[in-house]
Amino acid sequence: MATINASVSISSDIMNYPVRINKTMTMKKAGSCHGLEETTGLGYKKYTAVTQVTLLDVSAETAAVNKASKVYIRNTGSDKSQYFIITLADTTDDTEEVGRLYGGDWLLMPWEAASADHDIMVQPSTAEPMTLEYIAFIDPS
Amino acid sequence: MATTTASVSISSSDLTPGTSLNINASTTCMKAGLTTGLEIIEMGKNTLTVAESASSGVSLKLATAAGADGASKVYLCNNATDDTFYIRLDLHDTIVGRLYAGDWLFLPWSQNDTANELVIQAFGGSCPYEYAIFKEGETVVAGS
Repeated sequence: MATINASVSISSDIMNYPVRINKTMTMKKAGSCHGLEETTGLGYKKYTAVTQVTLLDVSAETAAVNKASKVYIRNTGSDKSQYFIITLADTTDDTEEVGRLYGGDWLLMPWEAASADHDIMVQPSTAEPMTLEYIAFIDPS
Repeated sequence: MATTTASVSISSSDLTPGTSLNINASTTCMKAGLTTGLEIIEMGKNTLTVAESASSGVSLKLATAAGADGASKVYLCNNATDDTFYIRLDLHDTIVGRLYAGDWLFLPWSQNDTANELVIQAFGGSCPYEYAIFKEGETVVAGS
């Protein structure tokens, strides 16, 4: 059993008083006190075309279905005008857009990975070279 | 201009033999395509109870046309303590994933159409949760 810790720290001065959010989680298998122990490994992919492609394919991670898998993705660029569109494949309306990762933005989210409807797709906003950093933590329980 | 900063740290000393995993990232959350910060924050906490009959969950936040294709960010944490209790997050009719007790998420939300609402539902047992949504400004039209 591995121990994977993830901490988030959010600070904002949108309000007249400071907002601080700090939270740490230990990634565990679904319904268990045991930690996740599989990963895709940390990867980097460079894109040079405005084309939607699969970043994480459910068919390659069949053990992850309906569990507690998690995905981290970051746009390694610094240009706030360039972004990746992150979508979940969905047969009922083609794709469900999650959101856009602008330069430097990151996400950490759970991944249902229940069917091909849940492939994680990415599309750059420009043909200029852009790079994603990503890793999936897989729950094989 | 408001400044909202989000940082993440992911670490493990025993996930991959012989190699420690350390990921650290930080971003300043800006409006879409701009270098000006987000202007609206909505946050709170509540408790989700398990529906006794079939349920499609409750909307944490509806997508709005005003927010379409923006750079909103969502933080959500399941504060339950029972390892078997989880909150399922859907985007409209697509399941994103499960937040088990203690799990949190942080993701962008572009509200690309009004059928892109955030839906949450508890399974196993009651789940206290906390959330924050950071958004771009919205135009408010004065009454005539």
